[in-house]
Amino acid sequence: MTPAVLLAAAPLPLLQNGLMVGAILFSLGLVGILTRRNLIVMFLSAELMLQGISVSLVAWSRYHGDFGGQVLVVFVLSVAACEAAVALVFVLQAFTRTGRLDSAAWQSLRESTLARSVDHEIPAIDSPLPVFPRLTPAGVSPEADADAALQREHV
Amino acid sequence: MSPSFLLVLVPLLPLVAAIVTVLVGRRLGSRAHLPAVAGIAAAAVVAFVLLVITARNSGGGEHPRPVDMVTTLWQWATVSDAYVPAADSPAAVPGTAVGADAHAARSFSIAVALRLDPLTATMLMIITGVGLLVAIYSIGYMHDDPGYPRFFALVAMFVFSMSMLVAASNFLLVYVFWEAVGACSYLLIGFWFQKPEAARAAKKAFLVNRVGDFGLAIGVFLLWLTYGTLDFHDTLSPDGTILPGILGQTRLADVSGYVGGAVGTAICLLLLLAACGKSAQLPLHVWLPDAMEGPTPASALIHAATMVTAGIYLIARSAPLYMACPGALVTVSIVGTSTALVAALIGTVQNDLKRVLAYSTISQLGFMFASLGTGTLLGFTAAIFHLLTHAFFKALLFLGAGSVMHSMGGVIDMRRFGGLRKLMPITAATFLIGSLALAGVAPFAGFFSKDEILASLHHKGWPSAHGEHGEHHAFLPVLPETAAAGPTLHDVGYRGVADHGEHTIAAADPVGLDALDRPGVWQALFWMALVTAGLTAFYTFRAVFMTFTGPLRVPEEAGDHAHESPRVMTLPLIILAVPATLAGFVLFTTEGLSRFLAATPSFTAPAVTATAAPAVFHWDLALQGTLAAALGIVIAAVGHLGRRSDGPQLERWLGPVRPFFENRMFIDQLYTAVIIKPVEAVAYLAAMFDRGIIDRLVRGVARLPVSVGNLMRRLQSGLVQRYALAGVVGVLAIIVLLAWRL
Amino acid sequence: MSLFAQTEPATGSWLSTGLLLAVAVTSLAAGLWLLLPKAGRDSRWPRRLGAALGLLALGLFVVTGQRLGNLGEEAVFLIVSLVAVVSAAATITCRSPVYAAIWFALCLAGVSGVLLVLGAQFLGVATIVVYAGAILVMFLFVLMLAQPSGLAASDRVTNEPLLSAVAGAVLLGLLSLSIGRLSAEDPACCRPPSKAAALAGEPTSLVPVDEAVDLLAADQVARLGGELFGRHLVAVEAVGVLLLVALIGAIAIVSHGLEGDQAERSSLQEGGGP
Repeated sequence: MTPAVLLAAAPLPLLQNGLMVGAILFSLGLVGILTRRNLIVMFLSAELMLQGISVSLVAWSRYHGDFGGQVLVVFVLSVAACEAAVALVFVLQAFTRTGRLDSAAWQSLRESTLARSVDHEIPAIDSPLPVFPRLTPAGVSPEADADAALQREHV
Repeated sequence: MSPSFLLVLVPLLPLVAAIVTVLVGRRLGSRAHLPAVAGIAAAAVVAFVLLVITARNSGGGEHPRPVDMVTTLWQWATVSDAYVPAADSPAAVPGTAVGADAHAARSFSIAVALRLDPLTATMLMIITGVGLLVAIYSIGYMHDDPGYPRFFALVAMFVFSMSMLVAASNFLLVYVFWEAVGACSYLLIGFWFQKPEAARAAKKAFLVNRVGDFGLAIGVFLLWLTYGTLDFHDTLSPDGTILPGILGQTRLADVSGYVGGAVGTAICLLLLLAACGKSAQLPLHVWLPDAMEGPTPASALIHAATMVTAGIYLIARSAPLYMACPGALVTVSIVGTSTALVAALIGTVQNDLKRVLAYSTISQLGFMFASLGTGTLLGFTAAIFHLLTHAFFKALLFLGAGSVMHSMGGVIDMRRFGGLRKLMPITAATFLIGSLALAGVAPFAGFFSKDEILASLHHKGWPSAHGEHGEHHAFLPVLPETAAAGPTLHDVGYRGVADHGEHTIAAADPVGLDALDRPGVWQALFWMALVTAGLTAFYTFRAVFMTFTGPLRVPEEAGDHAHESPRVMTLPLIILAVPATLAGFVLFTTEGLSRFLAATPSFTAPAVTATAAPAVFHWDLALQGTLAAALGIVIAAVGHLGRRSDGPQLERWLGPVRPFFENRMFIDQLYTAVIIKPVEAVAYLAAMFDRGIIDRLVRGVARLPVSVGNLMRRLQSGLVQRYALAGVVGVLAIIVLLAWRL
Repeated sequence: MSLFAQTEPATGSWLSTGLLLAVAVTSLAAGLWLLLPKAGRDSRWPRRLGAALGLLALGLFVVTGQRLGNLGEEAVFLIVSLVAVVSAAATITCRSPVYAAIWFALCLAGVSGVLLVLGAQFLGVATIVVYAGAILVMFLFVLMLAQPSGLAASDRVTNEPLLSAVAGAVLLGLLSLSIGRLSAEDPACCRPPSKAAALAGEPTSLVPVDEAVDLLAADQVARLGGELFGRHLVAVEAVGVLLLVALIGAIAIVSHGLEGDQAERSSLQEGGGP
């Protein structure tokens, strides 16, 4: 190892670009956690924030020429995996208790004098169900597919 | 046992009795009267001893020596160099030169000093004597009242305050105890405070008295400014000079010692205002009839014999001040006589026995004022004489009314009972004696005193008729005909210049109030007094006939009470009946009272002694008085003797003026409209302001945390994401703040 | 090459740069707000407008960076980061959670690309393998189990969209400001110490002079492994234990919850939660 080798020295612009990307991802993830009510999407946004952190850490690691940042990202990755597992178990528990994946289903922390907040003016689903043409029946209609009931048309 | 010690004992014993009753009265139960009765009895004994001592010191005889013994207990307040009066005013320190002399400043010093002189001794005897009899009477009257100890404590307190008032030797002290008796009166009128009428009556009495007290306060201020001191007696300054008191020997001997003119008249009129308040004269008489809501013994003590006489006492004491202002004197007489007439008129249509006696009290007090206002020695002594006899027979009448009320079960409306002479013989007899005395029938007490009052008014109205005493028949020539060297009556127009044996003529035409001091006015006052005497007899005997004659009728409330009162109540009645019968005759014929009172320093002022005349029995006036009384009695008999008391009454002949009398001349309504309603309106405005603005402000301030809390509470929505948002916003705020600094 | 300039620009242009930044922040906030699912009539136009504003904001941020610096030539980096950013925005604003998960997968791809550009090869691959391969699949499983057919009401409304959008945009503005400040010639005290500069012999106070590490060497994964298991061995072992614990814990919760839930399910209905 020659101390004089500057191959690892990364220029400042690269750092700044990386940090910017990380910042953007972090901010977007923050907005997502604060706004979305679906528990899964909330968690996705949290993972997004972690992605931003990872990018920033790697940028710093590159800038400094030090593996420390990347090591930390490994740990972040592992912890994110554990957290995802446990959190999703909780999400499922919450779902079995209330039957929905809505974070607004849990409001018992509110002041006793306040009323439960309910949704008003829920916008309708964008696309109406497509109207399929009805054909004249020819022959015997097939049996209903048992799986078809399980298939969902809209996700 | 020096006289000064005895003098202190007279108010002290009832005070101690009052304190003891307050502290242990509850525990004594039905014996709670013992301390009060004992204290007042002891005080009465001491007062009698003092009376004897004073009588002996005055020497008696034709020219009594002024007796004036002052005891200073302690120095209450001193403000040195409080006031620098003008060099030639009566307030100036004698012996000081004009200019910036350090000694020229007067110090404001109040010493708790008591004085003993004939006037004080007389008043003390009346107060403690009548007080004792009333206290004994109350043992029976207030027998089953739950406030038994409180009553006796108040009576003892009252005797203490009144004794101090008449014994005080300082105008400020008089003011203090003036207020004290007013407070005791309030407490006694409102004794049954759960009754709203009693509470209202007490409040009314206190507030009306307050108007008078206001006059007294301003008068005291003016006295201080004018005379530089508030003491009656002369005091010694530290460097040996005598500081003349307002009624001290030094000033009394000084010919120009008293200020006349506007200031003097103002002082006298203010003192008159105070006296009107306390003695229930026009226009401040409205409280006395309502004060009958209190227990009857209290009415007997306070509103007949003692408290209401405080005004008479004040003016009598301030006689030298009044002598310098003839306008004030005639005002006093006018107020007194008109009050007497109006009260008598209203009293003729009252159906409540106590109210009749109340108006009678007002009327008799008016007589006393009329007499005081004549400004002669005869007038002053006649007023005190009438005060003395009135104390006896009015107390007797009130206690008798109480006895009637007690056995009638609290009913005092005369139309509801009648013919009680068989039922309550002792009460009936004593009541009759009291009525005869009140009506002025010879030889009962009231006859002589009323005769003297009429005489003093007659002197002023027809001065020429009394120029030489030889023109009048002397019934009892108690004095040898005095030579011309003796003092003769002076004409009116007296201006504070005393000159024996010389008629003074007014130096200049009198102005303002002094202009009223004319014989014509006095004649009118005389006729008014005579008519009032007739009316007095009428309403008194109307009450007697309605109550005690006719068929026996007892209301249902009496139950088994309808019998003669117990001995503890009838004994004071009998005791009082004796002086009501004899006092007038005895005191008049022996001239004991007038000579005794003439030894009072206030009455030894040259201005007063110059008006002295030997007491003669005026036959013509006696005849006129007796005729008026007889007329009144006859008319009352025609209307009521032997008839049922709820039958048609004489006042149906009054016609259109009847509503005036029945509504007390609408004076109460006038006061309500002119004074009370505006004050209530202002109070209402103040209440609106208080409630609307101030309360709202306070409540708004109180609501502020609640509103803030409500706002804050909405943050706790239970939605966790909102909490997270709040956290993020906070962090951003901090970062922005830090970034700004960078 | 940077979104930010190297040299300090003229003082006069700082104001307009601030203005640009403010406009960028504002349009980003507006765009996010329009994009997020909200209460009210949901038509296509707000979403399109929101998308346009978002792109405008992005462009303005770039221009700001241009003002503060020069546009870089590393197009790869640009493309990859664009992919990451746009799909991240789509993740949070998409109404359907399943689509959001798919967008997230695309975002992961972009992030992986960014990491690769930055020279972290192992991590770039690990992101795809662990995140997109394991975690994302878990999400999809849960969605499959729990998501109702069609969009639930809670997917069509959001909590406080305006305030959150503003907060996020302001945060981004602050971060870009501070990142941009890195570009100026800072005084020595505020300059981040660089190992390379230390190796070059410049006086620094913070970073101890150490052996140089060639991050871009061919065996950099091995070097990373050496670093991990060398200096951070204990931490690695701890992370392993953590993974085990998480696994056991997840199983425990699930198995314990199963018995209790049968009774609770009957009492708690849809819409009547605590």
